[in-house]
Amino acid sequence: MKYAFFPGCVLKGAAAEAHASMMKVSEALGIELVEIPEWTCCGASHAQGVSELSMLAINARNISIAEHMGLPIMTVCNTCTLQLKQAKAKLDEDENLRAQVNEILEKSGHPYPYQGTAEVTHFLWVLDAHPEVFAGKIKNKLTNVKVAGFYGCHLIRPQKVLNYEDGRNPESLEKLIKLLGATPIDFDYKLKCCGFHAFFTAEHDVLTVTGKIADNAAQAGAQMIVTPCPLCQMQLDMYSPEGREATKSSVEVPILHLQQLIGFALGFSKEEMGIGRHVTAADKVTI
Amino acid sequence: MIVTLQIHRYVDEKKWIQEYKIEITKGLTILSALHEIKAKQDPSLSFTSSCRSSICGACAVRVNGHSELACEVLLDTLVKRYKTDVLIVEPLGNFRVIRDLIVDWDPKYEKMKKIEPSLHPKAEFTVKTGCKQSIEDFDKYKKYAGCILCGSCVSECNKSALNEKDFLDPFIFVKAAKLVEDSRDKDHKQHLKDVIEAGLWKCFNCQECTASCPKDLDPAGAIEKLKEATFKLEMASSVGSNHAKAIYDDIYNTGLLDESKLSVQSEGFISAAFRVPIAYRLMKTGKLDLFEKAPVNKDISKIRSIIDIAAKEDK
Repeated sequence: MKYAFFPGCVLKGAAAEAHASMMKVSEALGIELVEIPEWTCCGASHAQGVSELSMLAINARNISIAEHMGLPIMTVCNTCTLQLKQAKAKLDEDENLRAQVNEILEKSGHPYPYQGTAEVTHFLWVLDAHPEVFAGKIKNKLTNVKVAGFYGCHLIRPQKVLNYEDGRNPESLEKLIKLLGATPIDFDYKLKCCGFHAFFTAEHDVLTVTGKIADNAAQAGAQMIVTPCPLCQMQLDMYSPEGREATKSSVEVPILHLQQLIGFALGFSKEEMGIGRHVTAADKVTI
Repeated sequence: MIVTLQIHRYVDEKKWIQEYKIEITKGLTILSALHEIKAKQDPSLSFTSSCRSSICGACAVRVNGHSELACEVLLDTLVKRYKTDVLIVEPLGNFRVIRDLIVDWDPKYEKMKKIEPSLHPKAEFTVKTGCKQSIEDFDKYKKYAGCILCGSCVSECNKSALNEKDFLDPFIFVKAAKLVEDSRDKDHKQHLKDVIEAGLWKCFNCQECTASCPKDLDPAGAIEKLKEATFKLEMASSVGSNHAKAIYDDIYNTGLLDESKLSVQSEGFISAAFRVPIAYRLMKTGKLDLFEKAPVNKDISKIRSIIDIAAKEDK
């Protein structure tokens, strides 16, 4: 199994532990990742608000490089997934727009046109579709570990663009938690928004929901939260102290990247999974 | 198959959940089920509906935590989606409830006035010449004209759920996007100013509005169009627009987003100074390095050229 890997900016920065753990886990599962050479930021859903056409062209460039590699694209960030898939959907359904964007790419000197031949998928979806990659690999079944799965908006909405599972009742994360031997914990906030993208403009509301998500998961019995989105992970982990203050909560739960939870089941250590880089409740990761 | 509808009741400030059992027959919508319950089991159950054809927008409710236009969604679909024979039916979220499944639209209409929601025709239009526009110009906003004011979008809006006072309902943003895109309107800047003041940049981008819209109008996309218009009309001068522009500029300068400078670029030095304790916390765990320089993409000249050409064509 081989993919053109689109890591996204935060995996190269604040969430470097998500990158390191992703590399270790994918190798252990036999998934070959070839980083897309000279990829750029997907626009992070913000630059689209400055110039949609520019970001369509930027993402057409990203996708076209993977097309030239002859590989499907795998991301491990929800927002990257949505931005790439949104660009792909717009370019695939509008011939004139595709021609306009390809002309922009050509004029810039970019060597490949966007063709629409590369699939864009997310690590969680790959594992959901291919549970066989775990065969014989789980060395440390996560028995008795109660895990709340927090999906993150940009992997479940809008359904029309993402087109993987029913965004109103997704199950891939819970299925994966079970496959690792852990117990998935259902909680009211599992499909809510962490507010990451409005941190600077609606700070109090964002910190309130940050606190509520952790509190709600803990009240439902979760020992930890796992998320397939590094932006949700950053919001819930890095701003947990302010979230607790906003909600008058004392709940501190570890917030794991999806690949870290998988890594523990594969037998990797806390150090190898970069838990030391977490801000909140790193000492409570007792797997 | 028999399903149980657990309907949230509210009458004279008394709240309770009442169970009704109903047999799923072929083509039974949520609305048909509500009508059948009212006709045969409980005449006191209150809800609103009119056209039964997804046109009037009167019948939207929440089922299992998600808004649905009751006249177009089959109970069978919901039973299959949630893999259950018990469905929870509630009034729309982020509305004041009047009775049972009936919600109060008056505060919403009042809020809509903030964007001056009517066309301000250009002076060139007269009774004699009419108020014409080209098909191309009409196509720019015709999608947004399809809003049926059902309230499904705001019901699920994550921002509104936390605080709706400093934010508009997504369908109001759709209305504003329609006016800002309409070539017949003379006050694009005024509508846009109203929208900026009413919380444009506070959107969480949770995509719930787009996912919930039964008419596929993409309110989240309308919000993006409005943000883009603030740059095109040179009205971008807020923390939100600074933040968007900072990321755009990062891509132009290096190809990658540089998180370490985002606070200063978005909020300015003084506000960013208040974030020193957070910055210290992130530096301690290695999440933030203020002195690290973002690597520059080897194809940066082509990347800049892509952005330059596209931005020029986008004007």
